[in-house]
Amino acid sequence: MNSASKDDCTVIQTSTLLLLLILFANMFGAIAVSQEPRDAAGETVKRSQAVRVEICEQGLNDKDAWPDPLPIATESFEVHAFGLDQIPPKYVDDGIRGKRPSPSMVRFSAVVELPAGKHRFLIRARSASRLSLNGVLIGATPFPPKNGGDGSQADTERLVAIDLGPGYRFAPRGEYEKIAEFESDGGLCEVKFDVFAGGREGKNPRRVEVGETVVAIAKSGTEKWELLTPLPESIPYTDASWEGYRARAAKIVFDHSAAQRSALRDQGSAYWASRRQAANAWLASTPEVSVPPLPEGLLAENPIDHFIAAKFATVKSQNRHKATENVDFFRDVKPLLESRCGDCHRGMKAKGGLRLDSEEFARKGGDSGPAYEAGNAVESELLRRVRSTDSDEVMPPKGNRLTESEVSLLTRWIQEGASWPELPLVRDSFIGTIDDAGFIRRAMLDTVGVPPTEQELRNFMSDSASNKRATLIDRLLEDPRWADHWVPFWQDLLAENPNILNPTLNNTGPFRWWLYESLLDDLPMDRMVTQLVLQRGGEREGGPAGFSIASQNDVPFAAKGAIVSSAFLGVEMKCARCHDSPTGAFKQEQLFQLGAMLAVRPLNVPKTSSVDPEKLNAGGRTPLIEVTLLPGSTVEPKWPFPAFADSGLADALVLNTEDQREHLAALLTAPQNERFAQVIANRVWQRFMGRGIVEPLDDWEKGEPTHPELLQWLGRDLVRNGYQVKSLVRTIMNSAAYQRAVDPSLKLPDPLYSACEPRRLSAEQIVDSLFAVTGKPFVTEPMCLDLNGRRETDNAVDLGIPRRAWMLASLSNERDRPSLTLPRLQAVSDVMSALGWRGSRQDPSSSRDIAPNALQPAILASGVMSQWVTRLSEDHGLTEVALREQPVETLVEELFLRLLSRRPAEREKASFVSWLEVDYATRRVANPVLEYRPHVVPKLITWTNHLQPESDPAAQERIVAAQKGDPPTPRLEPKWRARCEDVVWALLNSPEMIYRP
Amino acid sequence: MNTQWNRRDCLKLALSGAATSMVRPTLANAVSANAAPALQLGKAEHCIFFWLGGGMAQIDTFDPKRLGDARSKPSRSGSYYASIETAVPGVRVTEHLAQTAKVMDCVTAVRTVNHRVVDEHAFATNLVHTGRMISGSTVYPSIGSIVAHERGAVAPSVPAYMLIGIPNVSRGPGFLGAKSGFIYLTDTKSGPSGFTRPADVDSARSMDRLALLEPLQDRFPSQSIPADYRAAQVEALRLSGPQFMRHFDLEQETGTVRQRYGGEFGQRCLLARRLVQAGTRFIEVSHNLAFVNGTGWDTHNDGQLQQHILIQEVDTALSALIEDLKRLKILDKTLIVVATEFGRPAAFDSGGGRGHQGTAFSMVLAGGGLNHCGAYGVTDDECKEPLENPVSIPDFHATIFATLGIDPHHELLDGSRPVPITDGGTPIAKLLRGS
Repeated sequence: MNSASKDDCTVIQTSTLLLLLILFANMFGAIAVSQEPRDAAGETVKRSQAVRVEICEQGLNDKDAWPDPLPIATESFEVHAFGLDQIPPKYVDDGIRGKRPSPSMVRFSAVVELPAGKHRFLIRARSASRLSLNGVLIGATPFPPKNGGDGSQADTERLVAIDLGPGYRFAPRGEYEKIAEFESDGGLCEVKFDVFAGGREGKNPRRVEVGETVVAIAKSGTEKWELLTPLPESIPYTDASWEGYRARAAKIVFDHSAAQRSALRDQGSAYWASRRQAANAWLASTPEVSVPPLPEGLLAENPIDHFIAAKFATVKSQNRHKATENVDFFRDVKPLLESRCGDCHRGMKAKGGLRLDSEEFARKGGDSGPAYEAGNAVESELLRRVRSTDSDEVMPPKGNRLTESEVSLLTRWIQEGASWPELPLVRDSFIGTIDDAGFIRRAMLDTVGVPPTEQELRNFMSDSASNKRATLIDRLLEDPRWADHWVPFWQDLLAENPNILNPTLNNTGPFRWWLYESLLDDLPMDRMVTQLVLQRGGEREGGPAGFSIASQNDVPFAAKGAIVSSAFLGVEMKCARCHDSPTGAFKQEQLFQLGAMLAVRPLNVPKTSSVDPEKLNAGGRTPLIEVTLLPGSTVEPKWPFPAFADSGLADALVLNTEDQREHLAALLTAPQNERFAQVIANRVWQRFMGRGIVEPLDDWEKGEPTHPELLQWLGRDLVRNGYQVKSLVRTIMNSAAYQRAVDPSLKLPDPLYSACEPRRLSAEQIVDSLFAVTGKPFVTEPMCLDLNGRRETDNAVDLGIPRRAWMLASLSNERDRPSLTLPRLQAVSDVMSALGWRGSRQDPSSSRDIAPNALQPAILASGVMSQWVTRLSEDHGLTEVALREQPVETLVEELFLRLLSRRPAEREKASFVSWLEVDYATRRVANPVLEYRPHVVPKLITWTNHLQPESDPAAQERIVAAQKGDPPTPRLEPKWRARCEDVVWALLNSPEMIYRP
Repeated sequence: MNTQWNRRDCLKLALSGAATSMVRPTLANAVSANAAPALQLGKAEHCIFFWLGGGMAQIDTFDPKRLGDARSKPSRSGSYYASIETAVPGVRVTEHLAQTAKVMDCVTAVRTVNHRVVDEHAFATNLVHTGRMISGSTVYPSIGSIVAHERGAVAPSVPAYMLIGIPNVSRGPGFLGAKSGFIYLTDTKSGPSGFTRPADVDSARSMDRLALLEPLQDRFPSQSIPADYRAAQVEALRLSGPQFMRHFDLEQETGTVRQRYGGEFGQRCLLARRLVQAGTRFIEVSHNLAFVNGTGWDTHNDGQLQQHILIQEVDTALSALIEDLKRLKILDKTLIVVATEFGRPAAFDSGGGRGHQGTAFSMVLAGGGLNHCGAYGVTDDECKEPLENPVSIPDFHATIFATLGIDPHHELLDGSRPVPITDGGTPIAKLLRGS
């Protein structure tokens, strides 16, 4: 205690001294310093080759005071200048994002060379900072107030931005600013710049971020502001130059972060090597799946094709008896049975013992005898029940009766022999292979989420190597954009649902960053799932701990259990949240056992997660559901799926046998749990092949595999390859089945994979592609409503400035306030929402709603984002193409290659050329006048001031500006430019932009 | 009648009519075909749903009590304004609702709405829009989406559900999917998002563009998924054409009518009326003009000072809408709802404004062919607890559904899982009886 108070005392003294120094510095405007900088040993120092950035986490408190002595750095790296707008995430455990202490401190230091003269220095920092030159403090910024407030606080201090002059940068996020003068005799100068990151809002930590942290210099006699750097280069502090610098610094932070993750993971490599050995031992001890011989006349690239060809031949032989002309089982009867009977008469717990999910069971019948006898409609029990007027007998028991035409359909089907083939034979033979242009577009959309650039396309087309497709696949699997393309899959599956403001709608932490980095680093699936289940790291900082949160949920871990079981075991337990499933084999208790393992403690069953027994037993008919777990019960952690893996397996696989999460992770991912590898393989297969071998993907009780041996083979292949998804993907993409052409008449994926169906791209693929192919920069606001970091982390996360569509989230303006709108993000979000993306993922999803509706084409045709990618602005990628000296035919060809990855057909070419050749020769403006961009202080709108009177009109201006978009280039004659935009519009609105080739 | 919030969705399927009839005999009679007209489903065709985001203070609007004093030390709880008589004897409202007071015979202020979610606007907003607590296993649809899903648009040529305000998930379609979502416009000057052609695209240029698009569409056979999309493109084109867009042109109204509706919020209501006439089923109109008083309806601290301007805006617009619909003889088939996420307490905060309160607050119904009575339900002197006829959020939703002819015991399907349209809500019988 004593020593603590003494420390406090010292701190106060130090800060008082600093304050005096600042006052002194301000009073006299400048301090003259002439001494040569020396290091600790008294040696004269040399000019630095970089600016050292050190992060200090220890020994800091939230007393708004500089620590003394300075804490030891826990992490460091080097950048090119005194400028940084992010610090690397903190990594902990197995290379996941953790939580830095808030506040932390960042020290920038370097020895720079200054010319003689009186220079001005600009400091920008989000929180307290101090700049010292040769040991003398010359400027500082203050600690922010402790109260972020309710949004109505005037914050004039930070909202009046310093204007450095035309072209120079304004503080983008309300950073504190200070200009100080310093007179140098010339020569070397030791610069130290300390900044605080984070702090407290009330008692709660703020985000440990730095904002745009900069020391810039205007050298004596100039008005030119540049970043202070020890290097000979000049980095003007203008918007354009900062953008380039920022990207360089971001790369450094990115690489530093990757190295941190890698170093931490090395510590676990021995453990994971032992897991691999155990998996190999299991593989060796269990029988291999035999790959069937290839039927005559069919081709194969790898074992996948053997399985598929064999099944195709089998079904073809079964289908010799064609369905009657009137009734087609797959078209007419099966959908009816599934939608109206399937909820109850399916799977192991089918009502009345009757299953209508396979021919064998249906013919066998249930408690009331066979459902039907082929060819004898008159005595069919099934028909009697659907026709019955007795409310105790009629089927289905709830909802509308079957219509007359539905009953008549079933009658004809039974009368005509009740044909029930194993799978529909959609085509008589396999379609041919997709052409090269289609292949590269498909392969890129499927792996990196965007089509090829013109150059990539041309290179691939002109490559004559016979293995060029395999080479392309290898290259794409190494592309970092793979991670961008796969994050949305996991966001949906795991219901990643961060909220940028006051999370209350079943929100999670932003574990998207963990997903992204896991994918970027090719984490094997068993290791990734283990990290998820362990739920460590920072909850709001992007670690898998974010998965553990479900704000305002009455039993978060029951909700998480249902996510884990459907994602990794294909066991759908939504119903078990409140009662035993009416059809599924699993009980509520099992879900709570699983939840208790995730929670590492017993779970109580609240009334709100149950069904009132009085109501349950009321009424005439026997209830469809049962409650066997009473509210108020306590459920202990226990592995609820002994059928998938024996719980005794875990002890040999875990590091800490007491940890229920470790147990769960081990039992999920052990190779003996074949369900896990198969569920993952099935999900990956579906992503590439259009449908799962088992459907639905998340509820295997409801479906039978179409190719059971293939599924087993794929599962083992995943284990054999160390749970590396990319290895599985490589096999799939190299198969002939994957590389088949599209049969445009297919409305659904063919379960026999005889051809590809036209497949709607995802919202993310479409949005990313529109920007990628046009070269229009993807520019939005930051995904954040607390730009200056005043709020507590738990109520205001910063999801960064999106560069790909997956980085968006719910815009969270339930408050309905114009000043909390993010209009550019809204424009993108509108497109994505229309296309089936959900900004708010309150529940997990394995498939999206992609049915066409009028809003989809409308928003792509006329929406705000669509205008951005269509208009030939100065920064639009096609503007230069349109200006290029080349025949109009070449321009049309190039537009097709860039936007649709193919050459135009004759008719298309004729139409587009005749449209563009009008005034083509005179399209370029001789002396274009670039639009003057006025140099005005941008209004900061953030949580702290969003209720101030100026914020609303300022937000309205921003909405109008976003809707208006960037001005068109002055270098093209407006009339011709409009024609060219019409062509771009037509290509972007072509069905080819939203359907996969 | 306070609903126990829980997830009994699947159960509701099992219960069937018999079980519900035990709990709610009146309604069971009402919905079974030939029962006496104790309570029957209403015949309203449209709904205009005002959203007063922030939490309207019932004690300063539709449920006035004795005068308080925000400035005295200590402050004295009570209404901030004097109250006045209305067209319904015995029913009083604040003096700033003077125009609405005159048509109060077409209005019922439901004064005993209640829930327990007051900490966070978004959470309560979600609750009042969806009628349910979040669950983590289902995303529930908003009331607008449910109505759109159940009844579609009145005229097939217009969207069923439109929003004049800012999109958010609480207003969204949840598990019903995008087809039951809203088309939105943020204010009366911007057209509907997605359907408003860019300023530099007139209809001639639009036709030129389509001519260029045609050969690209022709690559796909007519019986294909891309051809279905092409059909959607045709529909989108129609909606962005003058036949639909003319409904958004307020210039077509006379100056007198426009003036009667008042400022931007009134103009939104006028636009809503035009959309009703065009055949839109459900229109949510947001009164998100937060900066008239600094805080909008979230009248903490200084927000209280200019609250009367907000109230007057609503007064002008609501009364104008009622009169206008009456004049056009469509008031009986148009239900007007004034909704908000929660109310505010009688006591003042240290800054002279009001905090949040969910135990009792007012939401308002008007028109729709209901048996209006000026006010329904009674709260205590502090407006804090219902004394008579409490109305839960599910009850309030059930009343809206019943008014619009939708069986409040109907079940929606989330995939194969049945989800009752309300979480055990019962319509307010008194309003529907004899309607």
